[in-house]
Amino acid sequence: MARVMANGVDHHVQRLPAAGAGPHGADPPAVVLVHGAFIDSLASYYFTLGPEFAAAGCDAVMYDLRGHGRSARPERGYTVADFTADLAALLDALRLPGPVHLVGNSFGGTVALDFAVHHPERVAGLTVVESGPATREWAATMAAALRTATETLPEEEALNWFVEQYGTVSSTRRGDPRHDAHVRRLGRAAARLIRTTGIAREIHTGRALTDAQLAALRCPVLLINGQDGLVGAESDRLSALLPDCRVAVVPGHKHSVLVEAADQVSELALHFIAAAPRGTPSPDSAEGDPK
Amino acid sequence: MNTSQGTAGGAPAPPDERTVLGEVAQMIAGVLDDDTGTDTDASADIGADIGMDTTLGDDLEMESIDLVALSARLEEWYGPRVNLAEYLAGLELDEIIELTVGRIVAHVRSALAEGS
Repeated sequence: MARVMANGVDHHVQRLPAAGAGPHGADPPAVVLVHGAFIDSLASYYFTLGPEFAAAGCDAVMYDLRGHGRSARPERGYTVADFTADLAALLDALRLPGPVHLVGNSFGGTVALDFAVHHPERVAGLTVVESGPATREWAATMAAALRTATETLPEEEALNWFVEQYGTVSSTRRGDPRHDAHVRRLGRAAARLIRTTGIAREIHTGRALTDAQLAALRCPVLLINGQDGLVGAESDRLSALLPDCRVAVVPGHKHSVLVEAADQVSELALHFIAAAPRGTPSPDSAEGDPK
Repeated sequence: MNTSQGTAGGAPAPPDERTVLGEVAQMIAGVLDDDTGTDTDASADIGADIGMDTTLGDDLEMESIDLVALSARLEEWYGPRVNLAEYLAGLELDEIIELTVGRIVAHVRSALAEGS
């Protein structure tokens, strides 16, 4: 596995290069996939969107956020600004000056939006799955949820809390014992992260994005939500603010729509990327004028 | 060492199940051994206990990120024909959760047979 030092943190990176890039020899578009916080890792993409993007002629770049998966787990540096700085340094290290397409799931979408606001010249388009920007309201919601997990519950129950959150709020598969065991394994990684780093104290304490900053974001944005997900109301507000924004809702799904409806999310994202006006053209877009 | 990798120019018969199982089991042990971040203490001899019916999740306590590492090792060893990411992307989530070592062995053997 590839190790890439970025912003002083040893990152685990996996790339699935474009298969069968266009015959005209154009560079395939780079799509950088940013996963969620606590219970997530690049695995959520590696077995879902990653291979589908590669097959469709995109260079799929996946990495574990600091503290997650197989990236290093420093004690400090878990504000959204830290994750944005990591991503900027990572793109430099990978020689991807951009503009690139970003896909962010859950907290990864929060990072992707923050990155696009602070590095607009490096982003061709944004696909944001079940997520929203790091506004003051977001910080307050995150702080309250983390207080529940880390202050009012003993450590072993904090782990269960993540499983409960994931099971009841997110997943449509609650009750299947094998699935619950799978989620418990993810919860264990989250508990380890919270126990050994400052993430729970820091993640909501960074700079907040303002409406003016979001309204100035020029790149096209696609918001993909589960019909019964966590961010419907915020998405309506965000889509009204952003100059170029579409919202797609996947019926019958909750917060974990990326993993549980991977085919639909992939199709929506690929269609959006192929139609995006900037960035290196996708091989698909050479065949016509995708609408 | 590398008993089953195809040789340039030749068309070797796909390796037998036992050979591939041994190689995959070693790779799994290596993945678990590498993962110093987990609380479980995976020892190197875990490879000897891995059989076709062993499940990656329930039996080996592998997290999905461990599957990513395994996928990279499989490709490194057998070449790009063995593409676990693509294979798993075609499975339902339930099937991935219940994945057995035997299913990976079968995938490796069929991918190598197709390519030879």
